[in-house]
Amino acid sequence: MFLPWWSIAIAAALVGFLYKTKANFLAGFIAIAMLWLIKALLIDMNAAVPLADKVAKILLVNSKPLLLVITAALGGLVGGFGALTGSVLRAK
Amino acid sequence: MGGSRIPPLGKFLDPFHGFWQNIESKNHTLPVKLEIPGLKEPVTIVFDSIMIPHVFAQNDEDLYLAQGYVTALHRLWQMEFQTHAAAGRISELIGAGKDDAVLNYDRGQRRLGMVFAAENAFKRMEGDPLANMVANKYADGINAYIQSLSYKDLPLEYKLMDYAPEEWTPLKSALLLRSMAQTLNMGDKDMQMTNALALFGKEMVDLLYPDLEPMGDPIVDRTNRWGFEPLKIEDTPPALPAELIAISGLTTPDPTIGSNNWAVSGSKTKTGAPILCNDPHLNITLPSIWYAIQLHSPSANVMGVSLPGAPGVIIGFNDSIAWGVTNAQRDLVDWYKIKFENNQKEKYELDGVWKETKKVVEKITVRDREIYYDTVVYTHWGPVPYDENYRAENNRKHYAFRWIAHDESEELMTFYKLNRAKNHGDYMKALDHYSSPAQNFVFASVTGDIAMRIQGKFPVRRKGEGKFMLDGSKSASGPQAYIPFDQNVMDKNPERGFVSSANQYPADATYPYYINAVSYEAYRNRRINNILRASSAVTVTDMMKLQNDNYSIKAEEVLPFLLDHLDATGFNDVEKLGYEALKAWDYVYHADSESAPYFEAWWTNLFPLIWDEMRSDEVSLSYPTAWNTINLMKTKPDLEFYDIKSTPEKETLTGLIRASFSTGVNEVQQWKKDKGVSDKAKWADFKDTYIEHLTRTEALGFHVQHGGHANAVNAASRKHGPSWRMIVSVEKDGPKAFATYPGGQSGNPGSVHYSSMLNYWSTGKYFNLLFLQKPEDAGNKVNFTTTLNPK
Repeated sequence: MFLPWWSIAIAAALVGFLYKTKANFLAGFIAIAMLWLIKALLIDMNAAVPLADKVAKILLVNSKPLLLVITAALGGLVGGFGALTGSVLRAK
Repeated sequence: MGGSRIPPLGKFLDPFHGFWQNIESKNHTLPVKLEIPGLKEPVTIVFDSIMIPHVFAQNDEDLYLAQGYVTALHRLWQMEFQTHAAAGRISELIGAGKDDAVLNYDRGQRRLGMVFAAENAFKRMEGDPLANMVANKYADGINAYIQSLSYKDLPLEYKLMDYAPEEWTPLKSALLLRSMAQTLNMGDKDMQMTNALALFGKEMVDLLYPDLEPMGDPIVDRTNRWGFEPLKIEDTPPALPAELIAISGLTTPDPTIGSNNWAVSGSKTKTGAPILCNDPHLNITLPSIWYAIQLHSPSANVMGVSLPGAPGVIIGFNDSIAWGVTNAQRDLVDWYKIKFENNQKEKYELDGVWKETKKVVEKITVRDREIYYDTVVYTHWGPVPYDENYRAENNRKHYAFRWIAHDESEELMTFYKLNRAKNHGDYMKALDHYSSPAQNFVFASVTGDIAMRIQGKFPVRRKGEGKFMLDGSKSASGPQAYIPFDQNVMDKNPERGFVSSANQYPADATYPYYINAVSYEAYRNRRINNILRASSAVTVTDMMKLQNDNYSIKAEEVLPFLLDHLDATGFNDVEKLGYEALKAWDYVYHADSESAPYFEAWWTNLFPLIWDEMRSDEVSLSYPTAWNTINLMKTKPDLEFYDIKSTPEKETLTGLIRASFSTGVNEVQQWKKDKGVSDKAKWADFKDTYIEHLTRTEALGFHVQHGGHANAVNAASRKHGPSWRMIVSVEKDGPKAFATYPGGQSGNPGSVHYSSMLNYWSTGKYFNLLFLQKPEDAGNKVNFTTTLNPK
C-alpha cells in the first residue's frame, strides 16, 4: 500500500460514480468503516504490545474499543462522502 | 510538551497508513535482504534475542553506513529530536508553547552557542579525512533509511506530532555530541557564587563552598608523586568581583548527577583476568539514551553502546580491551563581565581599546507562527546570552559565556581509535584526541593492565580563578594555557589493585594545578572503594551486586546525628511510627525499605529549611553540598543560617531538625493516604522510578519498582539513574560481557523491544552479551538475519 490515506475516498468516489444507487453515502460509509475496522482489529489481534490502548490514552479516548469505533467511523465518513461525491459527479 | 497537539485524525487513524501501522506483530522481523544505496559490498546484520544488531561489514565505509542505517531503523525520531533540541529547534515542531516556554528554551540553546559549538566541532571533523569519512558514511546510512520511508513507515512520534524527518548531516552528529557535553560539562555556579560573595562575604563563602571537601579518596591518589614539571603561568589570583547579578532562577547542576566506573586488576579477581565495570547515570528516558551494537570489519571488532546520532561505540569492549566513562567534575565554564561602548553593542572594551563584536541573527522557525529572529552578540570570549531581549531583568550589565566545548575538537577520532585499541598505549593515543565533555576513562586489557585517565581540555587556572565572575575587559583574565594532556590526572596499575571513579574530586591538593568544580560526589565513591578494598577473588556476580548496591554512606553519617538531636517527647502516633522505622534502618535503600521514605522526607525538608537564605526571587544562589551541610551541622552548632529569615523568632538547629521531622513524617502519612496505602510506605513506591518518554507523554512511559538512591552506588532516583550497566571480564579467550539498560533497542512504542530490557534492569539482572567473531557463531541466539546489499 503506497497510496496516501485519502486514496480510499477516491476509490469510494469511483465506485459511487460507477454504481449509482439511492444509498450511496450509506454504502460507502459501511464499506470503508468495515474495511478499516477489520484491518485495525487484525493488527491489534497480533500486536506484540498494547499500543492501541496507549494511543487511546494519548488521544484522551481512554478506551481501545472506542478508538476502534472512532477509527471505523472516520473511515466510514471518508468512504461515505467519497461515494456521495462520485454519484453527484455522475448526476451532472 | 507532546500530546498537546491533536494529529490529523483521518491520516493518523487510517489502519493502512496511520498509527496502527506502528504496531509490530509478535513475530516481527526485517526482510532477509534489503537494497541500500551507497554500499560497496554486502553487509550482514545478525539481530540477537534482545534486538542488538551485530554488523559484519567488509570495509569501514560500509561499517559506518550500516551503523547509520540500523540505528535510524530503530531510533530515527529520537536522534532527530535530540539534535533539534540541542540546536534550539523545538518550536519548529510543536510551536512556541505556553507563555512561549518552548520558544524561550530554543532561544536559550542558541544564546549559549550550541550551534556555534557544533559548527566548531564539525570544522575539525571535516578537516580530518578519517573522521570525515566516518561521519559522512554514518549520515549516508541514516539518509538511505529516511529515503526508504513513506508516511506509513514513519515512527509514531512523527505521526503524533505531524511532521516528517529531514536529511541527516554530519553537523547533526556534532550537535549530538555537544548536547552530551551540555548535559555533562556545562554546569557552573559562577553567578551564584558572585552573589554569595556580595551577600555573605569571602570568609563565609569559603566556609559554605570550599574548593575541596576532604571526604575520602580522590580518583587518583598519588600524593606528591605526579612526576612532571607543571607549566608556569603568571599566577596573580583574579580580583574578586563585588556585585549582585539580578537574574533569578538560574539552576545549579544537580550534585547527585554522576556515574560509576571501576576496573579490578587480575590480582584481585577469581579468574585472574581484569574486570571492568561502568554505569553512567543520566536521565532515564525513552527511547533509551543508548543503543547497543556490535561493529565488525577487517579493522575492528567492537561491542558496546553507541549514542543514536553518533558513529562508533562510546562505551564497550573488543577482543583486547574494555573501557568506560564517568563524568569528570571540573569547572569548564566562565562568565566575563562585558562593558559595551553603548547600547548598540557593536564594540566592547578590551585592554583599553574598543573591540568589535559579532552579531549573529538566529532564525527560529515557529510552528503556526511567523519566524522569530533573535540577535545574539558574540565577543571573543563567547556569546552574551542575557541582554535586554532575554532575561531582561539584568539588562544594564552584560556577561559573556565561555564554555570549553565552544572550541574545535575531534572526539570522533577518540572513539574510532578506542574501538580498535589493542593495549594501554593505543588507549592513551586515542584519548589524546579527546577534549570535551571531560570524562574519567577507565581501562582494562587482556594483557592485565588497568588504568584511569581524566581526559579533557582543562585550562591552567590561577588559584580561585573561575569561581566567580571574571573581568572581561582584560585579555589576561582568560586562560593563559591549557594543561598538557600528559599532565592530566591519570593512573596505571596502582598498588591497591583497582582503579575507580564516581565523580569525586580527581586528585588531592598536591596535584600541581588548581582545580575546582561545581561540586564533587561524596558518597558513592567511598562505598565503591570500601567494597573493592575489602574484596579478593572478585567474580562477575560480585560486581553485579556492587553495581546494584543500595547502601547510603550519607544516611550512615547523618541519621544517627539527627536522631540524637531529635527531641522525642510529645510525639503523636504517626511520629512514633516514623521514629521507630528510622531507628531500625540499616541505611539500605532497598525497594521494600519502610524506613527510607521517612529519612528521605526528613532530609528533603531539613536541607532547604537550613538554607532558606539561598532562595531568592531577585538573585540566584547555590545550595552548599549535602556533605558540607552535614559537616557544618556537626561542627558549627551556632551557624547563623539555622535562623529562618522570614520569622521573627530565632530558630536553632535542633528546632529545625524537630520541625522537619514532623513535616517529613506527615508527608509520608499524606502520601499513604493519597495512594491508599494502608500498611507501610515502601521505598520503591514512595520513590516511584519513572522512565519517561522524551515528549513526556504519560502513556508512553513506565513506572518501575526499583530500589536505589542518588547517594548509593545504584544511583537510581526518580527519573535519573544507571542508563547502562556493563560488566566485562577481559579474558584471554575472549571478553565475557554482561549488561542491561532501562529500556530497549527499539524506539518504537509499538515494539516489544521498546522496553524489553527494563525488567532485567529493575530487578538487577544482566543479559549475557553475545560477542561474535563471525555471523554463523550466533547459533540459536539469533533472532533473524538481514543482508544489506549494494543498490
